[in-house]
Amino acid sequence: MRRVLSLGLFLAGLAAAQPVSYERLVNARSEPQNWLTYWGDYSAVRHRELTQIHTGNVKDLRVEWIFQTGQTGAFETVPLVVDGIMYITAGNGVAFALDARSGRQLWQYKHAFPPGEKATGVNRGFAILGDRLFMVTPDAHVVALEARTGRLIWETEMAEYRKGQYTATLAPLALNGTIISGISGAEFGIRGFIDAYDAATGKRVWRFWTVPAKDEPGGDTWLGDSWKRGGGSTWMTGTFDPASNTLYWGVGNPGPDLYGKDRLGDNLYTNSLVALDPATGKLKWYFQFTPHDTHDWDACETPMLLDLNWRGKPRKVVVQANRNGFFYVLDRETGEFLMGTPFARQTWAERLDAKGRPVLKGSTEPSPEGTPLCPGLAGAANWMAPSYNPATGWFYFPVREQCDVYYSSPPVYVEGKPYWGSVFRGITDEKEWGLLKALDPLTGETRWDFRYFRAPWAGTLSTAGGLIFAGDEDGYLMAFDARSGRNLWKFYTGNRLVSAPITWELKGRQYITMPSGAALITFALPR
Amino acid sequence: MRLLLLCALSVCPGAIRAQSGDVEQGKAIFRSNCAFCHGLTGRGGRGPNLVSRPIKDVKSVVRNGVPGTTMPAFQDFEEADLDRLVAYIGHLSGGGVKSAPVAGDAQAGRRVYLRSGCAGCHRIGGEGSVFGPDLTRIGAARSPEYLRESLVQPSADIPPEYEGVTVTTRDGGRVSGVRVNEDTFTVQLRDASQNFRMFQKEELSGIAYLAKSLMPSYAALPKQDLDNLLAYLDTLRGEVKAGAGVKKAEGIR
Repeated sequence: MRRVLSLGLFLAGLAAAQPVSYERLVNARSEPQNWLTYWGDYSAVRHRELTQIHTGNVKDLRVEWIFQTGQTGAFETVPLVVDGIMYITAGNGVAFALDARSGRQLWQYKHAFPPGEKATGVNRGFAILGDRLFMVTPDAHVVALEARTGRLIWETEMAEYRKGQYTATLAPLALNGTIISGISGAEFGIRGFIDAYDAATGKRVWRFWTVPAKDEPGGDTWLGDSWKRGGGSTWMTGTFDPASNTLYWGVGNPGPDLYGKDRLGDNLYTNSLVALDPATGKLKWYFQFTPHDTHDWDACETPMLLDLNWRGKPRKVVVQANRNGFFYVLDRETGEFLMGTPFARQTWAERLDAKGRPVLKGSTEPSPEGTPLCPGLAGAANWMAPSYNPATGWFYFPVREQCDVYYSSPPVYVEGKPYWGSVFRGITDEKEWGLLKALDPLTGETRWDFRYFRAPWAGTLSTAGGLIFAGDEDGYLMAFDARSGRNLWKFYTGNRLVSAPITWELKGRQYITMPSGAALITFALPR
Repeated sequence: MRLLLLCALSVCPGAIRAQSGDVEQGKAIFRSNCAFCHGLTGRGGRGPNLVSRPIKDVKSVVRNGVPGTTMPAFQDFEEADLDRLVAYIGHLSGGGVKSAPVAGDAQAGRRVYLRSGCAGCHRIGGEGSVFGPDLTRIGAARSPEYLRESLVQPSADIPPEYEGVTVTTRDGGRVSGVRVNEDTFTVQLRDASQNFRMFQKEELSGIAYLAKSLMPSYAALPKQDLDNLLAYLDTLRGEVKAGAGVKKAEGIR
């Protein structure tokens, strides 16, 4: 009997170490004990059906453990939690596996940079597929690691880092046998792309250029040869709809950021959401939020996939609180514009027309003398993760209330140098502030908001315990009643928060994890 | 765009194309990086007047900032851009935009300073209070025009680090002071007795940010006294003891 029992335990142990199949990723929300992708699941709702921590007891939440990465720079990772093991990247090409219950290290990986290259840069996390982890590095490589050991399996250079200032920061997205990655560097005159790599070999399967060449569709939206350095970074992880087999990815600003005269035209597909066929990288449709942007309003926010009862009928939509200050609802099968409503102060658009194209309020262009405009360059929203709570039907996201004076002067492209077209400055002494906002995606109306002292850089998490977790710029991790917006708990982490909390479960306990400074902090209720 | 760490810390103005020579390029750099504090003509504002007297080693000041002041370090300027900037500041100085000379008697101004109670809020060297701005090097840091305005209309420009706040506690008490720090849940003040006053916002029924300066106006001073006081302030060019910490100029986020 004892032998049978121990065999049973052994097998249970084996079961816990099952590889993370594509099917598990598709059904990630049915494993609320785990956090299997950057967004938690392919749709990016960042909601978990965990109820141990709820509105009645969240006040008792306390620190369970803290792991120190020892790394400098912003700690923007979202950990993956897979059957009791936590995998984190820490920036600067460093990554760890931890015992999720204790925070103790299992292995560490350090990326080997080319000799003489800068070994610094933020990173936002891993993707996992099978028994492999995938991350990008500041020198624009994708690496595959063995999950058991942290050993390097393959490494592929996405683009030549040294020459063009390509770099990479995002968590890749694992699909059925391929790893999707984007690129950063639109401030340095790159031409952006989205890539797919074979998870087994690291060989590139396809590339989608976010800035079309002259003779390609959309190429006529760029003046002269400006497309060659047109920017269009893809520095935030996209989302995926397995039912329609469509990949959704946000594209960043055109370059140079603040000077548009050399790149007259709409500058496709910058500041757009692109819907791609994940097998080929072919464009299914696109929607451009901010044509010919000169304010750095990347479409870097989460393209969250929701199935809503839209005007009385079920409809598959993709929603985004865009950096330009508008909340958008698009049909995710066709890209059709359904709604766009301002969610923050904005002084640039009179309105959106029937197709969602902004009608400008006079000239909004940056100028040598400085042009004041809201939102500021960092946007009314940015890359911070929103969440969706199915019980309330509301969308929870951080809002930045901050304006800027936008300056502009014609830049010269110098390889490896910033290619911005001047700078921006905060409007003298005007206080920035932030909001955690609960918004009804059916109407764009605010249901409640909670004011932060500063404009935030951290995302949100929703749980079936009726809670929204969120972080502010001063370093508070907070819990709110999802329905009323009442602040129920807070913890001062001691450093600005620049990631988003996750929740997971192990041996009957629910945990909340949040990076702050160089510390990864995990919370639970007292035993 | 997404802030790359390598560029996050500075303005990285990069290469700015020739328009009509170095002065034009320097002007573009000056406008977007410097005019914010030093004014469009460099005659000063919250930052000092750059044209009334020569500044030693402008390049080093720009690159390294000035510890103990709000002058940040612009570490990633290209050398050529720094040269253009210096050329433009030189051009401004030659443009006949000198400050009006300070007419008063500094010795008499010191007596005005002492009898008007300025030291009750301000400090020169080790003497006085830390409630208001330190004046040890105010003559170097501000133009006489700015200082005159500050005396006559103190609310015309309030540096953010001296913003006045009045909090009302739940039991009806009121405390005013300079805001030292604040976040979503707490606020810390320094009161006129130079004590820190620290509050959890849940203990408060209100926080009022004062649009007016905590400093009273000295518009009623006789003109000669005001001139003398300005002359005295203009002589204050002492060293402020500060750590090496300087703020880095912000870049694109």
